Amino acid sequence: MSTAPATAPAPERPLPIPTRESQPHWDGMREGRFMLQHCSGCGKVRHYPRPVCPHCFSMESAFKEAPTGGAIHTWTVCHHPFNFFFKAAAPYIVALVDMDAGVRVNAQLRGISEADLKIGKRVRLGFEPVNKEVTLPFFVSD
Amino acid sequence: MAHPLREAAAISGIGETAYTRGTPKSALALQLEASLAAIADAGLSPRDIDGVVPYFPGGGIAEDFIASLGLPDLKLSLFVPMGGATFVAAIQSAAMAVASGVCNHVLLAVGRTGYSGARVSTRLQQFPQFALAAEFEAPIGMFAPAQLYAQGARRHMELYGTTARHMAEVAVVTRQHAILNGNVVMNKPLTVEDHHASRMISDPFRLFDCSLESDGGAAIIISRSDRARDLKKPLVTIMGVAEGHPESPASIAQRPDLLEFGLVKSAPRAYEMAGVGPKDIDVAEIYDCFTFTVIRQLEILGFCKTGEGGPFVMDGRIGLGGDLPINTHGGLLSQGHVVGLNHVIELTRQLRGEAGRAQVKDAEVGLVTGYGDMGDGSIAILRRAA
Repeated sequence: MSTAPATAPAPERPLPIPTRESQPHWDGMREGRFMLQHCSGCGKVRHYPRPVCPHCFSMESAFKEAPTGGAIHTWTVCHHPFNFFFKAAAPYIVALVDMDAGVRVNAQLRGISEADLKIGKRVRLGFEPVNKEVTLPFFVSD
Repeated sequence: MAHPLREAAAISGIGETAYTRGTPKSALALQLEASLAAIADAGLSPRDIDGVVPYFPGGGIAEDFIASLGLPDLKLSLFVPMGGATFVAAIQSAAMAVASGVCNHVLLAVGRTGYSGARVSTRLQQFPQFALAAEFEAPIGMFAPAQLYAQGARRHMELYGTTARHMAEVAVVTRQHAILNGNVVMNKPLTVEDHHASRMISDPFRLFDCSLESDGGAAIIISRSDRARDLKKPLVTIMGVAEGHPESPASIAQRPDLLEFGLVKSAPRAYEMAGVGPKDIDVAEIYDCFTFTVIRQLEILGFCKTGEGGPFVMDGRIGLGGDLPINTHGGLLSQGHVVGLNHVIELTRQLRGEAGRAQVKDAEVGLVTGYGDMGDGSIAILRRAA
């Protein structure tokens, strides 16, 4: 006869499940390179990865390494842990950043106080391995 | 030439269950209970229903309605998967169905156990339209609507000086209206101080900026206007209706302007179809998943300019007796969260003169919005027909 565990299992971190479109981006993250999808037809960058260019409708694309600098577009400070995995980290800042590469990235912003947050503030994307397969982005003040 | 859908269809029946936190009933049972109430309100028999638009995901599907209500010949089964924009958008779909003669009476219905069942705020990743947010944003700790929408609110505050005081006003006025309604989850007075003292969820949203997780069901029936005229209740016609989808619909983060919702596209179309403008609106039921969402929609709807939504809601303007009474039933913030079908029900009551203690005097033309799925926006403009 089985008995109920004394404590609930530790909450699991939600992890990205790469698709055929996004795999090169996540492979790049693991190598510490910020790889973005560029249309082979018109050259425009797009993120998040998708099969077709919405500008020229080319289905050909290539991933290129992009610069990691950017400026804060907006932010939120997450206090309530909707997923219990993030309970220990809360409150944490999530900054939405206009990357110099021409796309936006949402990631946790570390080493800065709430009072210093403002639109346009320069930040830089860093790489944080969470396991052998997955590396996630975060931001620090530039 | 008037738009062919203008006043071609009407809201002929409305029904809702008690709004609670805690129910032994299933989502399907709540949905069917509300449906039977709407059918009775219209003076119809369940056998008269020949089109259904159930909320998806959650609750029943067309097969459940056929089996449960004994529908002899269902001619239209639709899902309109737009989250909180679903039902106001589905008014357009149903109006098209009855105006074209495909259906006579289309039932729109939702049942939710958002409190006692799977909690609303934890279900995001189950929606296919959120796959990209699940892949790129959930892993960094960004996945609940309160978090995703907070960034837009923060940007509005930084650009235009919108404040927590403005957002509190929406919560406080909405609560005052809820208390007049009675069938509500939140029935105790709320002050600005209560709002400011409530715990931070995702800055700038505090607890009382967020809509409820609640249990309940709601339903309406759309009929062709000439058929509805012969039914039980005063005729409330659909003057204008539209749905709109923003750029980058599945990811707010990648949207060129975070504050440009689908309503930016749908509102001008609905006003044009209706042949009215913001100045003609006597009462408005605005989708209120968050207090800030109301403030921004009031701007998009043309009641004030972009950036002026915060000051606009102050000084009694949005309360009963004000220039533009809004959410006269208590909304999602204080009545219950049935993805905005309660807003359509309340507007219909207002235009019939059935809104009880929350009745807006001589309400003749009103507006209702839906907002959901990261920014889809729908709008309907209704009128009490002579």
